Formats: sequence, structure tokens, C-alpha cells
Amino acid sequence: MSVVSNKLAASPTLKPHKSADMFSKLVKLSPRFLLALLILPVIGGLISVLLPAFGYAPVLEHTTLGLHGFTMLMQTPGLTHMVMLSVGTGLISTLLAFIITLMILAAFFNSPWLNRIQRLLSPILVIPHAAAAIAVGFLIAPSGMISRLVSPWFSGWELAPNGMFPHDSFGISIILGLTLKELPFLLLMALGVLAQPELGKKLRQQHKVALNLGYCPMTAFFKVILPSLYPLLRLPILAVLAYASASVEMPLILGPNTPPTLAVAIMHWFNDVDLNLRIKASAGALLQLILTGGLLALWLGGEKTIKALFSDLLTNGEREYGGVYWQKITTVLTVFVIGFILLSLIGLIMWSVAGFWRFPAALPDQLTLLHFKSALMQMQNPLFNTLAIGLVTTLFAIIITLLCLESEQLSAKPMSRFTSLIIYLPLLVPSIAFLFGLVWLQQLVNNQAAFFNVVFTHLLFVLPYVFLSLASSYRRLDPRFAHVAASLGATPCKVFLHVKLPQLFAPILIAAALGLAISFGQYLPTLLAGGGRIATITTEAVTLANGASRRTSAVYAIMQMALPLIGFILAWVLPKYFFKSAHR
Amino acid sequence: MLANKFWQTLSRYSFCCVAFCICLVISFKSLASTQLQSRWQQVESLGKDQSVYFYAWGGDAQINAYIQWAAQQVKTKYNINLVHVKLSDTSEAVSRVLAEKSANNNDRGSVDLIWINGANFATMSEHSLLLKQWANKLPNFSYTDPSNNPAVNFDFGIPTNGMEAPWGQASLTFYYDSLAIDGTANNTLPTTLNQLLSWSAQNPGRFSYPKPPDFLGMSFLKYALVMLHQQSDETLKAQLNQPATAQNTAQVLNPLWDFLNKLHPTLWRDGSHFMQSGAQMRRLIGDTELSIAFTFSAPEVPAAVKRYDLPKSIRSYAMQDGSLSNTHFVAIPYNASHQQSAQLVANFLLSPEAQAQKQKAPIWGDKSVLIQSTLTPQQQALFKTMQPHPSALPLNSIKRTLSEPHPSWVNAIIQGWQTRFGVSQ
Repeated sequence: MSVVSNKLAASPTLKPHKSADMFSKLVKLSPRFLLALLILPVIGGLISVLLPAFGYAPVLEHTTLGLHGFTMLMQTPGLTHMVMLSVGTGLISTLLAFIITLMILAAFFNSPWLNRIQRLLSPILVIPHAAAAIAVGFLIAPSGMISRLVSPWFSGWELAPNGMFPHDSFGISIILGLTLKELPFLLLMALGVLAQPELGKKLRQQHKVALNLGYCPMTAFFKVILPSLYPLLRLPILAVLAYASASVEMPLILGPNTPPTLAVAIMHWFNDVDLNLRIKASAGALLQLILTGGLLALWLGGEKTIKALFSDLLTNGEREYGGVYWQKITTVLTVFVIGFILLSLIGLIMWSVAGFWRFPAALPDQLTLLHFKSALMQMQNPLFNTLAIGLVTTLFAIIITLLCLESEQLSAKPMSRFTSLIIYLPLLVPSIAFLFGLVWLQQLVNNQAAFFNVVFTHLLFVLPYVFLSLASSYRRLDPRFAHVAASLGATPCKVFLHVKLPQLFAPILIAAALGLAISFGQYLPTLLAGGGRIATITTEAVTLANGASRRTSAVYAIMQMALPLIGFILAWVLPKYFFKSAHR
Repeated sequence: MLANKFWQTLSRYSFCCVAFCICLVISFKSLASTQLQSRWQQVESLGKDQSVYFYAWGGDAQINAYIQWAAQQVKTKYNINLVHVKLSDTSEAVSRVLAEKSANNNDRGSVDLIWINGANFATMSEHSLLLKQWANKLPNFSYTDPSNNPAVNFDFGIPTNGMEAPWGQASLTFYYDSLAIDGTANNTLPTTLNQLLSWSAQNPGRFSYPKPPDFLGMSFLKYALVMLHQQSDETLKAQLNQPATAQNTAQVLNPLWDFLNKLHPTLWRDGSHFMQSGAQMRRLIGDTELSIAFTFSAPEVPAAVKRYDLPKSIRSYAMQDGSLSNTHFVAIPYNASHQQSAQLVANFLLSPEAQAQKQKAPIWGDKSVLIQSTLTPQQQALFKTMQPHPSALPLNSIKRTLSEPHPSWVNAIIQGWQTRFGVSQ
């Protein structure tokens, strides 16, 4: 696409009119294209799950519509338990992550500590859920790091004790894992909002005014900043809630299995040898959709209730609610969270180089590079796939995002609420509910191009993040540059390529690094759309986590972290050498 | 005179007749064999220079390495590009073929060859998802002595009808941490099912099995089921080889449920949580949370010790009351894109060279399906053994093999287990 526009841009004197037309047309069409790209697969996938749920599955020789699938689902032993577990872990982990995010923000707002915490936590964002679950699992297991640190000198355990975590029947381990994984995401989202120049400046000034009026810093945050901050955080929170209620990797590795969470059970039914279970699985997928929808509605309702009940508090003039204690509690909590994460990272690194490491020993008997060597030997092909899929997907996502944002500016109309919501659609609809249907559709349309199918499915998950990451910088661009260039006779295409893009070099790279990180971490979409033919680092890691040693898993988890990290470092370094003037 | 002439004529005729018949038989036989030969030549010429997507469980580094070796071999022999698609569960491939059938993709399937046996085979054969009558026509199939060796023509009691080529044999092997089970009075190694129960009661939380429908967990339950029926009368025992029905299910499975009711409270996590897979069980042995475990792939134990995944104190052994054994196969889906190439690969996997390589303990240690008497002395020489690792299963330790019950019992066990133990109270 950019090649075409380059050519056209190179010969503006010959056909200036036509080239402008082409570009403008392209730009004008792109939002609709974006909508189609996001809506069609999700809706199509949902329909393809809906039909078997109501008993229409020609392959299994079921063609009569009926509630057979739902009857089977309702008769599943422990269904209520599964539902409770899904709802409970999803809601509590999101709530915890949200509250801790707010407490950290409130306690450290306008302090250099906030940046330090951000820097410590942001690498967590790039760890795939499966790897994080493995790391957390090792920490809290009876034979895990915490237990090793007190054994045998304190506890007297020579063999690992008969413990409770992970896999406890209340889902506490899942909640712990999800909270730790979601906390950095919400914190970074909030910090991203606060980093917007206009808004951030305004809020910081208001905070200062509140402090001068004698408000305790934490109270000032909750009364002055939160009401303006929350609306911008709402969608990320809802995405987190939707993900937490329907995720597969974390509950699979940390959760109980008598019974498991609903999403895990659905995945097992879909993969079961007994093909008739797929009808039940489809019905279950529909139930999951309803549950997630219900949770989102519950959250929004809770939001309204809290607003109605506590709006008086904002203006009651109370300056202090035990701020000193809360500050201390938050500090302790933050140290605890960071310590927990650091300890699991250290555990991960130690496992990747460990020789024999029997239970009570806190350190491995010997160190070896064997696991890295053997993993790197097997890794070439998956590594190539991971990079190729990530690069193609991200490139495509960035081009379409830029065109959409450009169309917003050319038409001088901000994107409708509907469109902004649709961009979040793949994040709000539980992937387990539509992916199986989507893969069935892809089979129908195009069976051979596994690579293309994987890229297309990844795009659904990469596009929202790339869009979110780029949108604020793009909308923040000073329009006067474009106006000046246009008044000097530059075509819209030329303005876009030569004026706007260089100014956006750094944000584009950050968006690319984020897109790559999201693509690298995809497990279920890669596995399903690629039909298992396309192995990436993440699919290998999950297969090995299920089938091999903790040591090899640790190597793969470290690789999973290293790849996106390289991307972010490049995104940070490159602008220092290219388009310096724009960066300044 | 006349009679004499008559007899002469008759004997001449009958001689001719017999001769003709012999000729006919010979020519038919040679015709049949030339037909087989020309069929194979056709397979060879059509199957060369292509890719074969081999869907096989990919959770074991040793097995993966063996498949890689086989890939190199077929590359040099036939210029076939063998791609190992690593599955974490074989049913993923079954679902895949089914999805293709539902999408009306009847000749461009993505799965060319699949490693399979038992319930997955039963499902695929029931839904007609497999190519028929090819495996028994492979040239190397004769080395398995099919007329005297029914194991290669039956998969869990179901006739394969040439839909599967045998690949190897496996037996349920136990392994334990010799530092945790030290042989003291209360802590001797359990070598029968009953001893296992009493040992677990004395050492609570140190044994468990993967949650059904996991393959290994099911194997343990089948071992228990077969053992619990050793003393039953013959008619009841015979039910194990028949399909499970509404009438016989309760009668056959009740001893198993009684046994599990006694066993479960003594298990890891008091039997309220079960591990997900055999690999997780191995990790828990490494973590010293469990002291005794089992596997269907005995060579994974010494391999894991060499990779530091298990402590040096691990030892393998076979239960004395019997080891559940079965044959595993490769099959070709009905819609495979490269059917001829897949047959070439399957034939290579059955060759004495490939089978001998696979049987070597450091490579894989999977027992060959070939019958030694059908091989030439040179071919037999390929199968010579080496000194095993201390943690490996000692040679000839399997005293008694138990055959698999009918595959329909798998579902009956899974359902019964799920309602009784699937939801913790």
C-alpha cells in the first residue's frame, strides 16, 4: 500500500489531481474496512458457534434445531461450581488489580517512585500468561521457592509437604496470578492517560490546588483526579474483566480441575475424542458469552451505584481518611507485589540454568547451559514463524490504523462512539466463544493458507492495541504543520508521508513493539487458526509446559520475554538516530 | 480295453486339469504379487518429492528427536519432507480432520499421517475418517508376521482393516524415588495393586494419577480394572473384551469404584485435585511431592534423569501382577493431501532399520513390532542391545502383560469417574 502511494507521491506534477484522489479514497474507505475486519470474523465466529449450540452440526449428522446442547450442558456435574469459579476469579482479580492500581497511583502520584514502579512492572506486561502462570505456580507450590526458603531449617520438611496451592478449589491461585498479570496493564494504561499533555497537566495542577487546600495527597487523588481519570480507564478495565472471566491459560496451569473453570471445561469439550461433546461445548461457549456479558453489565451497574452513593463525598470537604495508614499499607502492598514478581522471575531464571535441584535446596546443585542449548537447537523454525507472523501482522495493523486516523483528520470528524467500541470488540468478546467458529469459517473459505489464517486471527488481537497506542499521539499532532504544508501545495498524500509520519516515528515504533508483543503472546488463536501446523515460541512453550520439564519451560518463558523486550528497546533507541528533529 | 482307454483319457484330462489348476494358482499368486508390486511401484513413484505432515504427540524430546531422524532418512530415500506437527493431545488432530470433513474438504486435508491408537482410532474409524486397506499392503508389513501375530491387526480389540500400520509397543512402567521409598519396614516398594493401596495409606499424599480422560490416567484405571477382575468368574471377565452396555457397566465397574473410594483419600491433595498429565506427574516426582509414578514410555525416565528433570535416585520397575500393554500405530486420514508419500513414510517406519533404531534405549526404547524370525541375520543384528542407564527399566522385567479392555470401556470409566469424583464435595 505504501509503495503505491510512494510512487504516486513521486510524480505529483504529472497527475496531482488523480494521486490525491486515490489517496483520499483509500483513506476514506479505511475506517469501514477496519470495522469490517473486526466485526465480520467475530460475528461470523459467534454464529458458527451458535448453530451447533442449537443442535445444527451437519458433520455429526445433527441437523434438527433444538436445545439438546443446553440440556447436555445443564446436566454436566458441577456446572454451577464452574460458573461460580469463572465469575468469582474474574471479578475478584479485576477488582483487586483495579484497587491496587488506584492505591499505587494515589500514594505515589507526583512522586518519582511512580516512574520507578512503572519501570519495574512494565516488563511484566510482555510476559505471556502461560509463562507468568508457570512462574507463579513455582513460587507458591509446596515445593516452590517460598517453601524452599524456609525448609528444612524452619519447617523441618525434607520432602515437599502436602500443600494447598496452586490448584486450590477456591481459585485463590488463579486470582493471584491474574491480579499480578493485570495490575501492570491497568497501571500502564492509567499512566498513559496521565501522560497526555493537556489532560495530565490539568490534573496535576488540580491536584496541587487540592493539596494547597489541605487535602491529604491520597484523598486529593480520589476526589480530584479519579473522576476525570476513570472514564478513560473504563474500556481497558472492561477488557481485563472480559479476559479474566474467560481466559484459559492461567486457570489451566493454576486452577483446580474438579471441576475447572467454565472456559477450561469448554476447551476440553471442544478437544474431546467424543465428537458429540462439541455440541455441548458450543452451548457452553454461549453460556460463557452470557456470563462475561453479565459481568461487564454488573461492573457498569456497580459503577453507576458507586457514583450515586458516593458523589456527595467528593464535595463534603473532608480532607483526610487515615491517609498516613493507607500510604503505609500501599507501600507494603507495592513492595509485596514487586517482591513477589521479582522472586518468580528469579525462580524462572534459576530453573533455566539448573542442574539437579532437589526439594529443600534453595539453590540448584549445579548450573548448566544444557537447557538453553537444546532449546535453541529446536527453536529455529518456531522463532522464524513467531517473527514472520508478528512482523506481517503488526505492519498491517499499523498501516490500517494510520489510514483510519488520517481519515479522521481529513474529514475533521472524530471517530464515532460506535467505532471506538468496535475496536475493542475482540477484547470484550471471550475468545473461546468465537475462535472455534472462526476457525471453522476459515476452513470453509480457505483451507491451505495456514500462515495467512494465523496472521488474520492475530490481527484481531493486535489491531486494538496498536490503535489505542497510536491514536492519542496522532490526535495530539499539531495540525498547523499539515495546514502549512497543504497551503504550500502539497497533496494530502505527501503531507501524510513527509510531514506527519516522520513526526510520529517514535510513537509508531512503540505501537509496533506493542503489536509484536501481543502477537508473540497469542496461544489459542495461533494453535486453532494454524491447525497446529504453525509452531511459534508460545505454542511450543505451552505444549512443553504441558509435556516436558520446568527447565525447558523456563527457557521458553525467558525467550518469550526477551523477544518483545528487544522490540521495546529498539523502539526506544531507534528514534535517537533517525528523525531526530521530529523527536525533539 | 474300453475301460482302460477311458481311464487313460480321464487321467490325462485330470492331469491336464490339475496342471491347469496349478498354473492358474501360480499365475494368480504371481499376478497378485505383481499386482502388489506394481501397486507399490505406483505408490513409490507418486509419493516421492513431496511433503508429509505427520501429526504426532510432541511432548517428549526423545521421541521428537527420533522423528527428526526418520525425517532425515525419508528425505535421502525419497526426497520426502517430513514435517512433525507437535500435538499436546492427539484428539486435536481428530478434531481437525473432522472440521475438514464438515467443511467438505475431502481431498486436500492438512493431516497426512497421524500417530494414534485406542479411543482416538475408534472415533476416527467410526466416523470413517481414515484411509482403508493400505497398511496391510505395505512391503514391510510382512515382517510383523500378521497371520501369527494378531496384535498388529487389532487396536484395543477393534480390527484395523488395514487402516493403521503398527509402529511400536508400550507397557505401563512404574518409577519411584529411591530416597523417598527406602525399603524400611513401613516403606517398601509396592509391586501389586493391593500393595500400592496399602503403601499409599501409610504414605498419604505421595501417589496420584492424572485426571481422566488423560491417556495415562486412563491407563492406570484400566490396569486397576483388569487386576480387580483377575479373580472374577470367566463370564464377567469376558465382558472386558466386549462393548460396554447399560446392563454390564455397573457390574464390571463397581469393583473399580470401590477400590478408588478406598484409594482416593490417601492420594496427593487428598484426591480433591488431580494432575493434568503424565508430564505433570513427572514434574511432581522431581519436586519430591510424589514418590511413585508411572509412564507408558519407559525410556523417558532415564532421559529425564540425564536432562536433570528427575533426581538421580529414580528407579524404574514393572508391577509384578501384570503390565498393561498395547500397540500403537500410524494412520492416514481419508482426505490426506499426500496419501502415497504418507504410505512411503509408514513403510519406512516399519523397516527393520527404523524399528531397530527406535528400540535402542538411548534413542527411544520403544519395543519393535517386527517378529525376529521373519528377519535375515543381518537385520536381526541391528537389534542388539546396549547397557541400560541405572534409572532405566531393567531388561526382561515385564513378567506378565495385560491386554487392553475394549475401547468402549474408556467412555464408561470417564463418565462414571466424572460423576463420582469429578466434582469435589
